[in-house]
Amino acid sequence: MRVVEVVVLVVLVLTLGLLITVGFEYIMPSSVVRPLAEFYLYATYNPYKLNEYTAMSPEAVTAIVWDFRGLDTLFETSVFYLALIAGLALTRRLLSEHAEKPGYGLSLIVKTVTRITAPMIIVVGASIALHGHLTPGGGFQGGSVIAVLPMVIIVVFSASFLIMKGLTTSKMIVVRSLGLFGIGLTAITLLLVSLVQGTHAYVFQNMIKPDAQVSMPVDIAGALISGTLWFFNLFEMFAVAAGFSIAFIVLMLARTLQTEER
Amino acid sequence: MLLGETGVYLLMAVVSLISTLAVYMAVRERDLVKAVIYSALQSGLYTTLYFLLLAPDIGLVYIPVAVGLIPGVLLILISKTERWERE
Amino acid sequence: MTSLEIINTYLLSVVLASLLANFVISLYAVFFKPHYIKKVIALTIFGDTANTFAIFIGYRRWVGQNPSRIPVLTYLNPEAVEEFARLAVDPLPQALVLTAIVIGLAVILFLVFLGWILYSHYKTLDMREIRRLRG
Repeated sequence: MRVVEVVVLVVLVLTLGLLITVGFEYIMPSSVVRPLAEFYLYATYNPYKLNEYTAMSPEAVTAIVWDFRGLDTLFETSVFYLALIAGLALTRRLLSEHAEKPGYGLSLIVKTVTRITAPMIIVVGASIALHGHLTPGGGFQGGSVIAVLPMVIIVVFSASFLIMKGLTTSKMIVVRSLGLFGIGLTAITLLLVSLVQGTHAYVFQNMIKPDAQVSMPVDIAGALISGTLWFFNLFEMFAVAAGFSIAFIVLMLARTLQTEER
Repeated sequence: MLLGETGVYLLMAVVSLISTLAVYMAVRERDLVKAVIYSALQSGLYTTLYFLLLAPDIGLVYIPVAVGLIPGVLLILISKTERWERE
Repeated sequence: MTSLEIINTYLLSVVLASLLANFVISLYAVFFKPHYIKKVIALTIFGDTANTFAIFIGYRRWVGQNPSRIPVLTYLNPEAVEEFARLAVDPLPQALVLTAIVIGLAVILFLVFLGWILYSHYKTLDMREIRRLRG
């Protein structure tokens, strides 16, 4: 190893040692958490005492992601969308989406097992996504599980098989745009309702707040849906699964540039 | 019996030490397919660490993303470009 | 501190030290390994170690003899809410790490697309060759 590499390694180790010594009592976990975390844990399902700040969902992490800090998730979704559009724009000229005759792929045993487990993957992913306000899960978790399916089909059968079955890039772009449109519409639902009624409401509002007394329905016929959280999880699942499928199909089918420059 | 608080912390320490070993093996390996497999092994160990640190939401995101999607995409890229890292 | 507390703090310090070792090894590989895909792999490891560090800070040790719980409520009555706020781990770092994982994933996907374009221009992915061939 050269001298520069050794010097960089030693400097990194010494800096991290200094950071540990200075900030040890803030880094090591203790038996009490911060007051902000205690407020979120109190307010996540509390129609008894904190009726005007609660999010009516027994799952604290989903309530923080979509209700208490919903604007963070909005910008994270748009960053993901921008990265996907940038990747698609880079390889637009190189895409060859004609359906060849699919004659290759892995052996017959693997193909039969994939045909049996493909509906199971979709069901497990949808269950994780739609129960996101009751158990650990949510829109992004379920969408990622469903997005494993196009990759398995591309490896076991072939990418042309996927296009022959009708799962082209254009359809997936439509599904993703519908998912994002659904998220945007759910975010301003209560705002539109309050404009019609003449009262006051916020964007991304879920339950009643001290100066805005409109609220989404908490349960439908006895089953808890926690207002906007169920709809957010549903639309996010569609958007994430479609987005990953686009990335796989474009990456697998990009052919090389012809020798046309320099 | 080592159940109880010390048992949980002992399991966390063992898992994180094995993950450091996997990261070192992934960095010094010349064959890129084996480096991707070592990186996927390290992600599996991190998922166990997330479940021990009582964060099941993060574990549920991390398993399809870091053990399935990222190695899949990297293996597709390796199959279209080159496989061995030169000195 | 009793000896049991010393052992517990020691084991948590072992976890912290191995996370920092992962930081150092992956950052070294991002700087000094010449192949593009090796740099991308090391960047993935670096981002994931940062997320694990954030969740490690948000952990809560056991209060007396009661084990800590995940931030999900299981019984819906006022006494259960009080005990939940006394024993559960911090839910805020978990929500922020969820966002951070998605953003890291988007960056890695874009870097893979970029690597494919780089290969079709220069016919190699060795960064020293590309620096020599540039222009």
